[in-house]
Amino acid sequence: MKILDLDQLTQGAGLEIRGDGKAGGGLLLAFQSLADLLAKDPELHVQEWPFFSSARRGASIRSFMRVSRRPVTAACEVTRPHVVILMNEAAARTWDFAEGVPPGGTFVINTHRTPDECARHFRLSGRVITVPGDEIGREFLKHAIGNVSVYYAAAQVVTAAPHEEMVESFMHTLAKRHLPNRVLDSNRAALDATAAAVRTGVFDEAAPGAHMAHPFEGYDDLPVGAQTPLRLSRNNRTADYAPSGFRLRFEDSADACTGCAHCINACPEGIIRFEPDSERGLRVVGVDVNRFCKLCGECIAICPEHLFKQAPFEEHWEEVTLT
Amino acid sequence: MSTIERPLLPLPHETTPSGELYGSAIDLARVRAAHVELCTERETVTVDGNTAAALATLQMWRCVLFAGFPITPSTKWIETVAARIADEPRSRKRVKLLEAEHAVADYLVGAAAACRDLVFPTATSSVGLDHMTETTRSLGASGLGNVMLIDVYRATANFPLCIEGDPSDTLAHRDDGFIQICARGKQQIYDTILQAPCVGMHADVLTPTMPGFYGIKDSHRSARLIQEPDREIHAFQDEWMRPCPLPGLINGDTALGNCVTSKHFQGFKLSQRRRLENALRVLPAVGASFERRFGRPGLAFFDETGWPEKGGVDIAVVGMGPDFGTFETLRESYQAYAGLRVAGIAMRLLTPFPSEAVRRRLAQARVVLVVNQAHHQGRGHLTLDVVDALSTLPDPPRVVPAFAGLGGADVSEATWERMLEEARAVRDGGAVAPAAFYHEGRAL
Repeated sequence: MKILDLDQLTQGAGLEIRGDGKAGGGLLLAFQSLADLLAKDPELHVQEWPFFSSARRGASIRSFMRVSRRPVTAACEVTRPHVVILMNEAAARTWDFAEGVPPGGTFVINTHRTPDECARHFRLSGRVITVPGDEIGREFLKHAIGNVSVYYAAAQVVTAAPHEEMVESFMHTLAKRHLPNRVLDSNRAALDATAAAVRTGVFDEAAPGAHMAHPFEGYDDLPVGAQTPLRLSRNNRTADYAPSGFRLRFEDSADACTGCAHCINACPEGIIRFEPDSERGLRVVGVDVNRFCKLCGECIAICPEHLFKQAPFEEHWEEVTLT
Repeated sequence: MSTIERPLLPLPHETTPSGELYGSAIDLARVRAAHVELCTERETVTVDGNTAAALATLQMWRCVLFAGFPITPSTKWIETVAARIADEPRSRKRVKLLEAEHAVADYLVGAAAACRDLVFPTATSSVGLDHMTETTRSLGASGLGNVMLIDVYRATANFPLCIEGDPSDTLAHRDDGFIQICARGKQQIYDTILQAPCVGMHADVLTPTMPGFYGIKDSHRSARLIQEPDREIHAFQDEWMRPCPLPGLINGDTALGNCVTSKHFQGFKLSQRRRLENALRVLPAVGASFERRFGRPGLAFFDETGWPEKGGVDIAVVGMGPDFGTFETLRESYQAYAGLRVAGIAMRLLTPFPSEAVRRRLAQARVVLVVNQAHHQGRGHLTLDVVDALSTLPDPPRVVPAFAGLGGADVSEATWERMLEEARAVRDGGAVAPAAFYHEGRAL
């Protein structure tokens, strides 16, 4: 399924790829693996690098790649990518993952949804490729991590390498990480399973001018001395740090809450809701998971009545009707 | 296996002005023989900057002890070194994890002073370098040219904190007494680390080195690297690393850093300064030797781009680090658009600053645009050095100071074009404005 003409692209200014994901979500490995695969061609110059800060697991991160037949000297970020990769749907809430992609670009998305659904939801014009990486990761790696599948799908876009070569290249990259053989075998199985799970389609759902880069408008007034409210999360949707596909759920149908308040004390976000109670002092009635719950698990671990749990959750995508 | 001959004492020794020299205390031939080759043939690998730095140190037979304190903001150099050593059961090399950066620097003093013919590397970053400060100053004056402190440039202690690429850490330590060399790109990182100790350990220099590269922008950027065989590296380094004329402090009868009176302190500082300045002579020679052996450019004061063989240029850009590559990418197109001759230099040797070479190179420019990437209350660290270098010219070019990319901020093509336009306006007779910050094509 080679989609892009790498030869043609790399003769000119070069192929540019950008990825969005979350720290700890495997975006870096996917890019490193793809770079290793492309660098097997001695004629190609490949540069790959991430952008992330000291933020914790779950924070939004980006990765970039340039591929050219000429030495790559440009060090600036990729702003007009031919291919974008969305490793985690939640990352698309932080910034527009399709920003700067010209019409006809290629979008590789880690999702169980269809290319058609993604094209309409994100308003994409070009080729949309989806792969249910998290599901494959859960099945083969016991972890909802889609980087193995995303690597495979992206590799199909930019190279004509046969399945075996794509698999072996990935395994070679993994081997550098000193992983045990059973983990390597699981990854190989995940790659094999991905081959039949990649879906693709071409769509034209972007309105004119959509996904244009926003011009930099300055820094406005920043707080003196970098002094900010301790609870930065009030202005920062940290719920997006949570693993995709899960939400915290509080259930107390048997009125078992003892009012011990351990959960209230342990919650770093202060989002446990409670009411005064004449017998117990207080009674927990719920938790506000929409914006700040990072699924850190403190409440789950500390509640003596086991009233909190991590439950499967799927974000509802409203149907988009284009005018 | 100890590499120290037994019995330790008595050993033959000779008197030097710096103390007793026990020439046979450490059997360097055994250390060399114990080295397990990492690379036997020239090969091409794809690695990030941290790995390139780790490979270079691992391939030196003179590097046997790797001290470090791994914590963010730091560098994965020590983790990479440790993993590689663990992978090779025959290796006699050792990793020494210390409890803090200060302890690492102290450890380097002791180890490097014990044997001046081995190379003692570490790597750190940002506040990690700051935590070493008390000892780095001493190291800079120690004559221990066999200490190599690899600095991954990140914003130094600041509010707010930032771990992205920013040379403010290394520029805050310019007076520590180290030879500071900036590298950009995997190959230059690797090559620089192979050459730096050759400069520092030269008998006329005897000054520790601080090679460095930008955090994230280079430390985490993967690209192709040509890795040289260990034996070639050893041959190259052995050519330059002659037995140190100073005694090692291995027998407890020689001291380092004694307290002196003002009568002598100034003299010691003058000597330290002259040794550092000797790097200006030794570094190009080491670089030329490297190029002859490996066929790639060796150490130099700066990289050059776009300079005509004859005549001058309208705008000369002075910068450093990987963002200079973006300028290189757009230089020709901007030149054509503006109808001007545009060239540039990317600084490699930061300390001692190669003023004379910079002056010669920039003398033919009408306007010099200096792009600073570290916080500075004035016109920028680089700007001051460039202005100082040009000050002795009878008709120096006008210098346009600019700031961009602080804290690792992206320096986009639009930002470069905006800065070049500022320089162009000055070239056309406009006034030089106070140093401005540039981002995303805007002057802030």
